[in-house]
Amino acid sequence: MMKWEADDLPKYFEAKEYIDTVLVPLIPIQLSNEADSLKLANYQKTLQIIAREAERDFAGRMLLSPVYTYVQAASYQKEQERINQWIQLLFKEDFKHVFFLTFDVKWKKEEKGLDGTLLWLPGTVIENYQSVLTKKWINEQTSQLNELIKSFW
Amino acid sequence: MSEKKQQVSRRQFLNYTLTGVGGFMAASMLAPMVRFAIDPVLTASTAGEMQAVVDVSEITTDPQRFDWTVEQVDAWYTSDVTHSAWVYKNENDEIVPLSPTCTHLGCSVSWAGNEDYPDQFYCPCHDGRYQKDGTNVADTPPPAPLALYEYEVRDGTLYLGQPVPRGGV
Ligand code: FES
Repeated sequence: MMKWEADDLPKYFEAKEYIDTVLVPLIPIQLSNEADSLKLANYQKTLQIIAREAERDFAGRMLLSPVYTYVQAASYQKEQERINQWIQLLFKEDFKHVFFLTFDVKWKKEEKGLDGTLLWLPGTVIENYQSVLTKKWINEQTSQLNELIKSFW
Repeated sequence: MSEKKQQVSRRQFLNYTLTGVGGFMAASMLAPMVRFAIDPVLTASTAGEMQAVVDVSEITTDPQRFDWTVEQVDAWYTSDVTHSAWVYKNENDEIVPLSPTCTHLGCSVSWAGNEDYPDQFYCPCHDGRYQKDGTNVADTPPPAPLALYEYEVRDGTLYLGQPVPRGGV
C-alpha cells in the first residue's frame, strides 16, 4: 500500500519512521526491433506485477518507487551514475535498505557500482497472464524475492 | 460565413457531447447485464461481491493461505487485484477466514512465519504477532486483531466478502 500514489503517500509520511526499505524497478526500453521491443514490454508488465505483489506483502515497511526507465542501448555506466544520483537525492536519508529489481542481466556487471542491492530475476516471456501456470510462476518469483528481502532485515 | 462555420461547429460539439453521454449511459446500463450473463452465481449473492475462494474440503485445522483475483474497475482502467486469506477450521468445526493484513501498517502476516512462534501469525515488518484466532499479541506493534472476512458456504465452496475489522484489546 506504499506506492508512489497520492492515496499512499500520506500514509508514508505518517509512518515514515517504520519505512526503511525502498524497491526501485529498473526497466529497459527500446524500439529498434519489433521482437525485442515486444519482449521488453512483456518483461515490464511482469516485473511490475512482481513488484506490486512484493509491495503488498511489505506495505508497512517498504516503499515501491516509481520505475527507473532507461534505453537499452544506452551506456550502463552512465545510467548507473544517474541511478545513484536518484538514490542520493531521493532515498539516501530515510532508507536503510535500497533494492533494485530487474530482469536485465546486464546490471549484473554493474552491480558493485550501484548504491543498493541488485535483485536480478531471470525473465520469461509470458503469453497468458490468466493461466494457472503463470500465476504459479509469479507466486514463486514473488515469494523468493520476498524471502531475499527479508533476509536483509 | 465565419459565423455560420462557428455555429456548425458548436452544433457538432453538442452532438459529440450528447453521443458521449448516451454512450456512457448505455455502457453503465449494460454492465449489470453482462455480469449476470457471465456469472449468475455472483448476482445471486446477497452481499453482492462475495468471491469463490476454495473448496471447503481443502480447509484443514491448520491455517492455509488462499489467493484469489478480483477485477477492479477504476474510473480509467481495469486491473486485477489479488486478495488473500488465511483459512482454517477451529475446534467447533467453524471456518475462520482471517485477513492477512497486519493491523499495524499493513504488511502481510504468515502463519508460523517465524520459527520461534510456530503457533502464531507473524508479521516480518516489525515483528508483529497474532494468536491463531487472530488476536494480537500484547507488546508487539499491532494495535488490533486481524480482520475476519464475511463468509458463506454454498455448494461446498467457501465464498469471502469484505474483511471486517475487529476492535483492539
Ligand atoms: S506492519 Fe506488521 S508489525 Fe508493523
